[in-house]
Amino acid sequence: MPPLNYFVVESPDEVGRAAYERIAADVLQDLDLIKVVDRLHIYVDPKVPIFVAAGLLRHMPRAIRVADFANVNRGETEVVLDIGDETYLAPLLQKLWILYGKENVDQPDRFTVVLPAGVAGEEELEQLVVADPSETLYKDVIYALQYIAPEGFKVRRQYIRDEKFYYVASEDTLSGDIVETLVAPIFAKMGVTL
Amino acid sequence: MTTLVPVTYKGGVYRHDEIMDLIDDLGGYIVQKHVMAQDVVLQSFVPRDDIDLIRQIAKPLAGEVVEAPLVGTEIAVVSPSLEIHHLPHTSCDIAEYLRRSGAKTNMVGLARGFGKRIANLNDEERDVINEHDLAVYMLGSFEECIQQKFPVLRHGIHVPIVVTGAPDRETLMRIIDPPVEGYVGGMGRIMHRFKRPDELAKLDELVDEVSRTLDARRDALAKDPLSVFPPRLMAIIEERIHEVSMLTHPTPVTAQMEGLRVKLPYDLYADDVRSLEVADGVTVGDIADVTPSRMRNYILIRIKPFSETRILV
Repeated sequence: MPPLNYFVVESPDEVGRAAYERIAADVLQDLDLIKVVDRLHIYVDPKVPIFVAAGLLRHMPRAIRVADFANVNRGETEVVLDIGDETYLAPLLQKLWILYGKENVDQPDRFTVVLPAGVAGEEELEQLVVADPSETLYKDVIYALQYIAPEGFKVRRQYIRDEKFYYVASEDTLSGDIVETLVAPIFAKMGVTL
Repeated sequence: MTTLVPVTYKGGVYRHDEIMDLIDDLGGYIVQKHVMAQDVVLQSFVPRDDIDLIRQIAKPLAGEVVEAPLVGTEIAVVSPSLEIHHLPHTSCDIAEYLRRSGAKTNMVGLARGFGKRIANLNDEERDVINEHDLAVYMLGSFEECIQQKFPVLRHGIHVPIVVTGAPDRETLMRIIDPPVEGYVGGMGRIMHRFKRPDELAKLDELVDEVSRTLDARRDALAKDPLSVFPPRLMAIIEERIHEVSMLTHPTPVTAQMEGLRVKLPYDLYADDVRSLEVADGVTVGDIADVTPSRMRNYILIRIKPFSETRILV
């Protein structure tokens, strides 16, 4: 595995540590997150019991705009969107229906969307934000950590903002200052302040 | 008396009925038949001396006969839950590998089997596991957790248990008290398919451990034999209760080491099964307990030993 810049799994139980190193590597690979996560530090202690994962993401993907996957051709009477990549076609149509009404959005074939010029003239159509992959990315990262953590650790606290994330889980109640006492030192090991 | 040995026949669909007839004529039993597209797999018991004859007849059909130590056994593969943490890799890979050795495996996903302190086993799970010949418990990565949760998960289980976990075999033997029948170390929570040679070697080790445990049980059974050989009773039920042939289950009648599971509703068919004549004047009710199974509404037949019935069919 992985081209992460920093990947450490710590545990008092050596066998468990090796097992979790492999589990984390497999999960990140399966969920295609290796290119997204930059640093990851995991600490598991079954005696406490506690599971902490903290890390940094690489740059977050920017919002997808119409210009990223379609050409906007303005004509006399209509605006023709020539779709290059279908990935974001469904959210685009949803957006257009809300903005201009279903009756004004025509899709003669898979790769073409036609709008009447009068309705869709004013706005900056090219700059319209269609989707924000970072939203699902956050969910994916948290899901991956849930997946890596021992299953019985149902009490959890998670955080993901900008580029930093952490996930703390236990079988027992987590103390209120768990972030200061456990998570902050782990970030410090990676040379980051939370 | 001829000894019947468990074997698997693998071959094509073409003329496989000849092999089935041959096994039947030789006095063997077919416990399970799988037809997968062009291929047929027969799990069967055949007389030891006739294996070469079957091989010889199967040769022009490109069929092969291999010994399969687990034919005629029903094994529970117990996983702490059916969450993504254990599925598909560890649970399915193990269940599938045992199946290749001839066992009928059932996966038992516990409702609350996860966690160190919160692990639990309810009465239904306990009874279902106890209806099998053996239970394989797949535990996780930490010695500490296995030590604390395993006594809870085995509570009330009286069938032989084989435990798998990430700690090595010696550690498992040390932390599990009282001891169980088998241990396989180095196989904990695994998030990828078992495909590397060392992982496959672990699966082979598991099959060896399971067959060793079951052999010990077979030896004990040989000292006080059952009143009827389960596959024989199975053949009789399949022949005489025609509703069995209409069931869509892969194994409408499942052979176990000491009994059978008949996948017909207990309320409607228990009396028919009980009064079924096995030999002259001997009914199933005389030589076996016919009880409701905790698995759906099936019928569970437990064959009594010779020492109890004084009948040997």
